[in-house]
Amino acid sequence: MENAEKYAKVDRDILAAMEKPGRLYLAGLAVAAALTVIGGILWAYQIRSGLGVAGYTHPVNWAIYITNFVFWVGIAHSGTLISAVLFLFRARYRTSFNRAAEAMTVFALMVAGMFPLIHLGRSWVFYYLIPYPTQRQLWVNFRSPLIWDVFAVGTYFTVSVVFFYVGMLPDFAVARRLKEGIRKKIYTVLSLGWKGTDREWRHYGMLYLFLAAFATPLVASVHSVVSWDFAMSIVPGWHTTLFAPYFVAGAIFSGTAMVITLVIPLRKAMHLHEYITDDHFESIAKILLFTSLIVSYAYIVEFGMASYGENIFEMEAFRYRALGEFRYLTWAMIFCNSLVPLTLFAKRLRRNTAYLLVVSLLVNVGMWLERFVIIVTSLAHDFDPYVWGTYRPTYVEVGISLGSFGLFFMLYLLFVKNLPVLSITEIKEHL
Amino acid sequence: MADRMVFEDRNQFLEALRRLVREGLPGERIRVITPFGVPEAEEILSRGRSNVRFFALVGAASGTATGFAFTILTSLSWPLIVGGKPIVSIPPFIIIAFALTILFGALSTFAGFLLLSRLPSLRGIRSGEEVGNAFVILIEDGGRR
Repeated sequence: MENAEKYAKVDRDILAAMEKPGRLYLAGLAVAAALTVIGGILWAYQIRSGLGVAGYTHPVNWAIYITNFVFWVGIAHSGTLISAVLFLFRARYRTSFNRAAEAMTVFALMVAGMFPLIHLGRSWVFYYLIPYPTQRQLWVNFRSPLIWDVFAVGTYFTVSVVFFYVGMLPDFAVARRLKEGIRKKIYTVLSLGWKGTDREWRHYGMLYLFLAAFATPLVASVHSVVSWDFAMSIVPGWHTTLFAPYFVAGAIFSGTAMVITLVIPLRKAMHLHEYITDDHFESIAKILLFTSLIVSYAYIVEFGMASYGENIFEMEAFRYRALGEFRYLTWAMIFCNSLVPLTLFAKRLRRNTAYLLVVSLLVNVGMWLERFVIIVTSLAHDFDPYVWGTYRPTYVEVGISLGSFGLFFMLYLLFVKNLPVLSITEIKEHL
Repeated sequence: MADRMVFEDRNQFLEALRRLVREGLPGERIRVITPFGVPEAEEILSRGRSNVRFFALVGAASGTATGFAFTILTSLSWPLIVGGKPIVSIPPFIIIAFALTILFGALSTFAGFLLLSRLPSLRGIRSGEEVGNAFVILIEDGGRR
């Protein structure tokens, strides 16, 4: 009897998060939606007027839009790390975060996928990137990193959506049972008629294991491919073999920070303290600390290789990065990504959610700056001093970037009220 | 049609299941419904490992093959030298083949799961029958499932 009550309580507690929203939620949703609309209007304006309204100059032809692309793809990564890698390692605390992290992955990739299109200028010809049989029988250039991106990110998005959906399948059956009206109908269809028979569970277990196994290499491969967008070129500051592991660690670092940023308010607002405990936050803070150390190591190696490499272009690129006109951003990046997370060596701070929230926000800022600094400073000062230039973002670029945050948070807020935020069946399994 | 035993406790359910099997009831006639996956029940009923894994293998292998065939054949169909690289540049094609391995593997595993678990089940969607958080053992009579 006790068990039945416990299970029912899990059902109730988690589905309670999907009850009627409060005022604070609606206000947040309104702000996010407003930002999204502003971003959309500015994008429309940019399409109408051309890329001239963005702050691109020669030689800085990649800037904030590509920064945003790399940032959002990076955010997606830790969702897969938490849901797939920690599943394979049988890390129990994963259950508290995996749904929130998987949702984050899907939404971040949706946002990320828009930026190459925004950056294109003529967004409507994006389909040139997709390999399809054309009249001229000319296929895409498979040797180009931009095409690898299409395959890597496209695969990543598809697999993440499948993983997200499959994880929710048994939970939809719970929602179907406890909800009424139109919602009941929607969850009934989404649950595909799941009953929980031994046959279903047996195949489900195998499916989940394999999806985790398929998603795990993506954690390493997708951001490596994104890093090759840069590393495959000869631009000083980009052309290094360090880039793939450096970007992957950075991606997991920023994504973990975003999970913390999202889950701390979620836990408070939805009263999920019983299911997401301070122990869980401590574990995830350790991932943050660990990846911060890897990222810091990469910074040191980058500057080290430039100083010992006898390559004057590389040396100049890094001198400019640390001491040039974007130096404040570089130092802010080092402060946020390398110094602030060091405080997490203190156990007391790892368990303090308010402090963790501050750290995670700073890491988000720091990781955005990292991508901006890598992209803009390297382009602004490449080989020939005669073509050196600089870059200032315009209000259109800033507005579209803020719009992307609006879109992400809007999708996230909608997720919180419409889908089960924790894995109900997994929590019951571990009771 | 089918005998039905309902338990609220996981251990009682497993005990009853063990007893039934010990009494000589063939595993094929027993069906269980549980609120979450219970691996012990699968063991007791000696169901064996799910065949979903073969879908994963075939999907992944066909993804690799497609990745290489697609890149190599399309490059050969219009042999244009770009950036001084060979027409058939295997290293970059590995990246495409790798991505397609995972894509096809994951999609085919999902399709295999749907097929083997007989989902989506229209009957399940329509019936509206729920057992909630109970552990249920259904014993079917000798006929076909």
